Amino acid sequence: MSPNSAGLAKKMGYTNVHVMLEGVPGWKKAGKSVVASEKLVQTGNIVLLDLRSKAEYEAGHIPKAHNIPMAALAEKEDSLPIKAPIVVYANSFVEAQQGYNLIKKWGAKTGSIWPGGVNSWTATGKKLATGPTPASITWVRELEKGEVGVAEFKKAMEGGGNQVILDVRTKDEVQTGAFKNSISIPLDQIEKRLGELPKGKEMLIHCSTGARAEMAKNALDKAGMKSRILRADVECEQGKCEIKD
Amino acid sequence: MQNKQLRNWIPFLLLTGLLVGGPTLSGSPALAADPAPQAAQSANIFVGKVTGKSNKAKTISIEVKGKNEFVKFDDKTTGLEHADEGEAAVIQFEMRGDDKFATTIKPKLASLPEGVKEMKAGELAKFVALGPDEGKYVLIDSRPAAAYHEGHIPTAISIPDSVMKETGAAYLPGDAKLKDLQLIFYCGGYT
Repeated sequence: MSPNSAGLAKKMGYTNVHVMLEGVPGWKKAGKSVVASEKLVQTGNIVLLDLRSKAEYEAGHIPKAHNIPMAALAEKEDSLPIKAPIVVYANSFVEAQQGYNLIKKWGAKTGSIWPGGVNSWTATGKKLATGPTPASITWVRELEKGEVGVAEFKKAMEGGGNQVILDVRTKDEVQTGAFKNSISIPLDQIEKRLGELPKGKEMLIHCSTGARAEMAKNALDKAGMKSRILRADVECEQGKCEIKD
Repeated sequence: MQNKQLRNWIPFLLLTGLLVGGPTLSGSPALAADPAPQAAQSANIFVGKVTGKSNKAKTISIEVKGKNEFVKFDDKTTGLEHADEGEAAVIQFEMRGDDKFATTIKPKLASLPEGVKEMKAGELAKFVALGPDEGKYVLIDSRPAAAYHEGHIPTAISIPDSVMKETGAAYLPGDAKLKDLQLIFYCGGYT
């Protein structure tokens, strides 16, 4: 992508054009942080963390922010929804970076810093909120394109509708339990066995996390078959399966 | 870096040479625009972006020229660490019955358009610390806008590659005197 754009710039007459091939992954590997855009902080489905002291937070914070003072952050691992994009801010970039690094260590895949904290927020005329922090942090993931929600998936188990569940786990995994109204085709056989799927139905694909389901969806897409995936943990034991969102 | 890149290239060039009769052996690696010519694709090589890897199903999915392909792997497959989702990879495979089995996986090195130079993270960090005015640069994030919003390198502006193709000129400094201004592009890795 970026080499293409650089080539275009070169054609436009720019003479001093570089590409950082390592991109964002390389930047992060070098121990550097990425920053959030104003739009994300304003309207994104994120968890915004204010790492300043309680007094500073209550006197004025960015709307929707939760307060966990930096000194207390280390004990708060369990109260953070680690799957959420977490954006942090503090009084300084360095302090925000410390918080960000800690959260990243806990396994957060998406996270960034709002540089400049409350000052860069009010600098463009936006207002701060005041008062105590909400009692708990809640975050609900929004379904991405091509995903099916847990409620709709459960309904499809009852059958009768226009949807069929496609289980792409291995044979061994299926032995521990499977959903009603489901067809089992392990991922590594999916391409050869597409003909076994009922025609004209929407396939709701699941595995044990969503990763293999996504790969299977690629094969169904390629064959022009309608499908969505369940991106949730599926755990089966003694014939019973549970979905953990 | 140049040497390292060259070293990484040599086995691959030799391999392509053996398989398809050496189409690019004489070319400089940086100028080889497409490291997998059409002929190599049919010679059991997939070049593209890895779209998934399942250790349970021992299967990799890779997007090759807009199409999804599955390749199995086993204990003998080398270079599995290069088959991470989102990475550009070169997968050599063999047919076992109807199944494709990966034998060797290598990272695909991006090639740069002529006259464009590479910049490493460490050097970029020095410019970012100075800021665009003092460092005299424009840093451009070529990824889709959503990725930019979620988290970008400090001081970057967003011009997705697709936008650059259409109306990129509108976002760059248009003054002819500024044509020697340093432009630095990046995206989501070696793709």
